[in-house]
Amino acid sequence: MNSVENNTSLQALIAPLKPVVRLHSRSAPALCVQPAASRLWLAIHLPRFTLDMATRGNTEPQACVLVDGQGTRQRVTLVNAEAARLGIRIGMPLGAAHALGEVLPFMRVPAAEQQALAQLCAWAYQFTPMVVPVAPDALVMEVRGSLALFGGLAGLLARLRRELRQLGFNALAFGSAPTPIAAIWLARARHSTPVETLAALPAALSQVPIDVLNLTPKLQQDFCGIGVRTLGDCLRLPRESLARRFAPALLLELDRALGRQPDPRPAFKLPQVFSSRIDLLWEIHHVQALNIAMERLLSELAGILRAQVASVRGLRWRLYHADGSSSDYPLTLVEPSADALHLLRLSREHFLRRSLASPVRGICLEAADFEHRPANPSGDLFAGRQGSQGGTETWPRFVERLRARLGGKALQQLTAFPDHRPERAGDTQTFDGTRVQRAAASGPESSPRWRERPLWLTRQPLPLPECDGRPNLDGPLHLDGERERIHSGWWDGGEVARDYFIAHNQHGTRLWVFRELASPRGWYLHGIFE
Amino acid sequence: MTLEELMRRAGLWRAGEAPLEGGLSTGFSVLDAILPGGGWPRLGLIEILTSQPGIGALRLILPALAALSRLPRWLIWVAPPHRPYAPALQAAGIDLTHVLLIDRTEASGPTAGCVPRAPPATLSTCWSWRRAAEGEFWAFEQALRFPECGAALWWPAHLEALALRRLQLACEAGGSLGILFRPVECANQASPAALRLSVQPIVATPEVQVRVLKCRGSLRARECRLFL
Repeated sequence: MNSVENNTSLQALIAPLKPVVRLHSRSAPALCVQPAASRLWLAIHLPRFTLDMATRGNTEPQACVLVDGQGTRQRVTLVNAEAARLGIRIGMPLGAAHALGEVLPFMRVPAAEQQALAQLCAWAYQFTPMVVPVAPDALVMEVRGSLALFGGLAGLLARLRRELRQLGFNALAFGSAPTPIAAIWLARARHSTPVETLAALPAALSQVPIDVLNLTPKLQQDFCGIGVRTLGDCLRLPRESLARRFAPALLLELDRALGRQPDPRPAFKLPQVFSSRIDLLWEIHHVQALNIAMERLLSELAGILRAQVASVRGLRWRLYHADGSSSDYPLTLVEPSADALHLLRLSREHFLRRSLASPVRGICLEAADFEHRPANPSGDLFAGRQGSQGGTETWPRFVERLRARLGGKALQQLTAFPDHRPERAGDTQTFDGTRVQRAAASGPESSPRWRERPLWLTRQPLPLPECDGRPNLDGPLHLDGERERIHSGWWDGGEVARDYFIAHNQHGTRLWVFRELASPRGWYLHGIFE
Repeated sequence: MTLEELMRRAGLWRAGEAPLEGGLSTGFSVLDAILPGGGWPRLGLIEILTSQPGIGALRLILPALAALSRLPRWLIWVAPPHRPYAPALQAAGIDLTHVLLIDRTEASGPTAGCVPRAPPATLSTCWSWRRAAEGEFWAFEQALRFPECGAALWWPAHLEALALRRLQLACEAGGSLGILFRPVECANQASPAALRLSVQPIVATPEVQVRVLKCRGSLRARECRLFL
């Protein structure tokens, strides 16, 4: 919510600046508020959206088709490049497709498609604050204000193409026009030449086949019957009869496409959580095979974070196993991050130390609690970049990598505490990494004046056998000096009542041993002096 | 390749060539006097081989660690055999806020009370020269490569020559000291370490004998006696 407002206010800030920039150009510029006609809508049509969604976690090419219908009447409605190479065409019965080669059939899952499209819109929000999903397989966005930033329409298209490939969408068609509907139609018709003005729109649309309207089969047949094949033919029909004989909604749509009627679009609302899933074509037994799916999901997340100028404090990977179960792998960061490469490195370390319990069929990435501030609050513009290239690594990133690989409890800090009990005086605590805990380590002046203490404390007191009243370890130990009695802690349940001695063995190693005051008065090894 | 060409290669080190920069003082003047550069090398692997555990190998480098921690650089202890005891380290001048322990066996929280167990037969058995657990080598190497790390300490029993070579390169990449504590049996193994020492107790005295097995640069003496 917050960021939507931020973005619109940002637009308002940028708009008055434009005339200043344009003063240098020769032609008299339109100085005041942009009229609706000067908007430029860019439509992205993903003709193989459903199939790309299904296969994008896959490393090897595999012929896939989308099928519709029941039982023996199943027909192919969409093919990917590999399937087309086998000679499979849209409209073929599934049986015929199977006869041509090894092919995987998929069914449409409208809910999943819708969610994926919404996710893609959130990702596209990084390019412009005005993004509208167009079910089932397109989205349209207003880009006039963003062109200068991305180096014109050509620059923006090149970047979109590159980044959508990273997400796993290879089949792309773009269309740009002053109205959103026209842009979608042009994209569906693969008319990639941008149409900049309303005046040029009727001419550009006239060649577009009426298939782009997604008409009902009945209407399509009717149009065919009277010889209407392109939008141009359709526009030449008298308006009244078009509305009467066909659908009034169609007339409104045509008017909107040509800019004769306003076409207000509700701005897409940004989700505040991220959840995206990739299903794998085959069962996967090795973590390495998940790499590409992880990369795709993380670049999707990174795009969404960039759009919202946000970063995340943690991720959750969920693996869906072949037996229907799922396992969760949460990953917490020391420092919020929005860097896909860093997150990928961390996730790899995280998975590397585990082997897959059972084969995996799908992987899902979830992130919540977006932090709406840049990931690099220190203000150093290049610090993050250097880190991502593996040049100089920052302390939080170093700690994150260690924790991801070794587990959260493997990192510890030493703490000194003014307590007479040796275990409490020098303890370890799990290092949370967020900052160095100054309080944990108090200066020596605050601790009681102790006698000499060993450099090593055994993790637990080790019992020593007794022989002639002396403890034994590699032979009898010689006790040096006087005993130090430590009797403390009766008030908090951790009572300690011991006589400590410094001892040395035959090799000269100095040891810290104690004898319990309570019966059976056993000897224990508790430290090594070095 | 002719000998002249070989000599011109930058990566070649010749015995007898003094290290370029001054060393890091060991804190023991006797030892500083014999080591080339007047102290520990500034970066690289240091192997300390001991016949007995707990005879002062750690105390030998403690002054240098204290100096590094106050720079401040991080001291990263990978899987130490026992818990480094904070009060003693503090007394030796180490800044505890720059000490990081990487250990998967250490349970956090106070461990009060004595757990009855089979008594240790020898000190060596309770001083576990255990096999390096999975991830320890990786963690040690990462620590050495981390630019803010001053020194990383590790107690591995067995290491391949290739692994040692990797660690030496990691030290050079990160500009850090890698300190390996190993049993004296490893002295026969070839090692690319910048410095190898053996520490042995001298019978019936509180002193130890430090013998330099290998170093870069010329030595004034091969061994010395230290009171640790």
